[in-house]
Amino acid sequence: MANMIVASSNAKPLTPPTTTFQQHSPKPRLQIPQLSFPNKITQKLSSVATAATTLKSLSLLAVSSLTFAPPSLAAEIEKAALFDFDLTLPIIAAEFLLLMFALDKVYFSPLGNFMDQRDAEIKEKLNSVKDTSSEVKQLEDQAAAIMRAARAEISAALTQMKKETQVEVEKILAEGRKKVEAELQEALADVEKQKEATIKALDSQIAALSQDIVKKVLPVK
Amino acid sequence: MNVISCSSNTLKVLYDISGVEVGQHFYWQIGGLQVHAQVLITSWVVIAILLGSALIAVRNPQTIPTAGQNFFEYVLEFIRDVSKTQIGEEYGPWVPFIGTMFLFIFVSNWSGALLPWKIIQLPHGELAAPTNDINTTVALALLTSVAYFYAGLSKKGLGYFSKYIQPTPILLPINILEDFTKPLSLSFRLFGNILADELVVVVLVSLVPLVVPIPVMFLGLFTSGIQALIFATLAAAYIGESMEGHH
Repeated sequence: MANMIVASSNAKPLTPPTTTFQQHSPKPRLQIPQLSFPNKITQKLSSVATAATTLKSLSLLAVSSLTFAPPSLAAEIEKAALFDFDLTLPIIAAEFLLLMFALDKVYFSPLGNFMDQRDAEIKEKLNSVKDTSSEVKQLEDQAAAIMRAARAEISAALTQMKKETQVEVEKILAEGRKKVEAELQEALADVEKQKEATIKALDSQIAALSQDIVKKVLPVK
Repeated sequence: MNVISCSSNTLKVLYDISGVEVGQHFYWQIGGLQVHAQVLITSWVVIAILLGSALIAVRNPQTIPTAGQNFFEYVLEFIRDVSKTQIGEEYGPWVPFIGTMFLFIFVSNWSGALLPWKIIQLPHGELAAPTNDINTTVALALLTSVAYFYAGLSKKGLGYFSKYIQPTPILLPINILEDFTKPLSLSFRLFGNILADELVVVVLVSLVPLVVPIPVMFLGLFTSGIQALIFATLAAAYIGESMEGHH
């Protein structure tokens, strides 16, 4: 960008001197600063060697010249129309008003309305989201109640089943016990009978044995 | 005397080579009246940029904004914010005025700093930001004056003029004077800042073509934005001031 400005500012002396100021100005005595510009082609290369030093002296000169500027020069600068009011003013005003209406039609109104509408929509949606959150809570409560009921039912059924099975088990157990007892009784009775029979048998044997013993001990005379 | 003539010559040389063309205009004749063509041309470009970019970005707004639309929404919200803080709750109808004021000045200022206007050679004068011409700034300032008079009169009718003797009738001359100083200060602040900024850049570039002018250029961008904001904010403040009720 700097280069472009420089290039254009360099090209200016080529344009016909039309202002009062440029007509008055004599042929420049110092042409060195122009050489410091990179894309300068048409300039005379008269004092290349002094280019570096003249930049310093130039700034010094600028400062000194500003302090000693003669009043005639100030008057010449003032002739340049800095405060030149003309038809541009009303034209710019009209352009501004047109731009205002056009931008209002194109930009401010449509986009503003759109943004407001979107804001309203988002607010509405947010509110509806809040409503559904209460609904969700209600549903959650319902679900919890259902769960509780189901759990109670299940536990009741479980306890009942437990009781039933307990009773059944006890019945079976009692039956078994009875059976076992009856068998035991029978077995005991059997054992008793056998005992008696054995004792009877033993009794007769004892009698015979005792007779034998008596015969042996008391020899027959 | 020798020193003085030498230095005056040097100044003229500096003036020539730096290409600082203060107050030189490219004139067009319209029905016997003159206009500054360079101002009109650049203002057309600025208007084209504004309208074109707005048209493209806001052509069909999306609920989830695209990048361009997002930017324009941000700008619009910024303008609304400025208007709301200065004018109050009834800022709605003034958004286009404040917004156009801000955008036009802002894009004008930045175009002067960023667009390579000077590539295009004019027979006389040079293209620059429209706001560095006094006609533009005075036009905008006068429109602001008209706007705040309109705001006050439409809100309060002729009772608006009672503000001139409001705290005490002694202040009547000062209150009347204020109506002249407001556009004057608005226009000259903008004009002076932008012109001075461009001059500083051009002079620096002519002296040291490399690197050194860059910070000044950035400073110029900064002041350009600030000036646009100040102009729009003050315009809104004047409008709000003339609309607010007396206690």
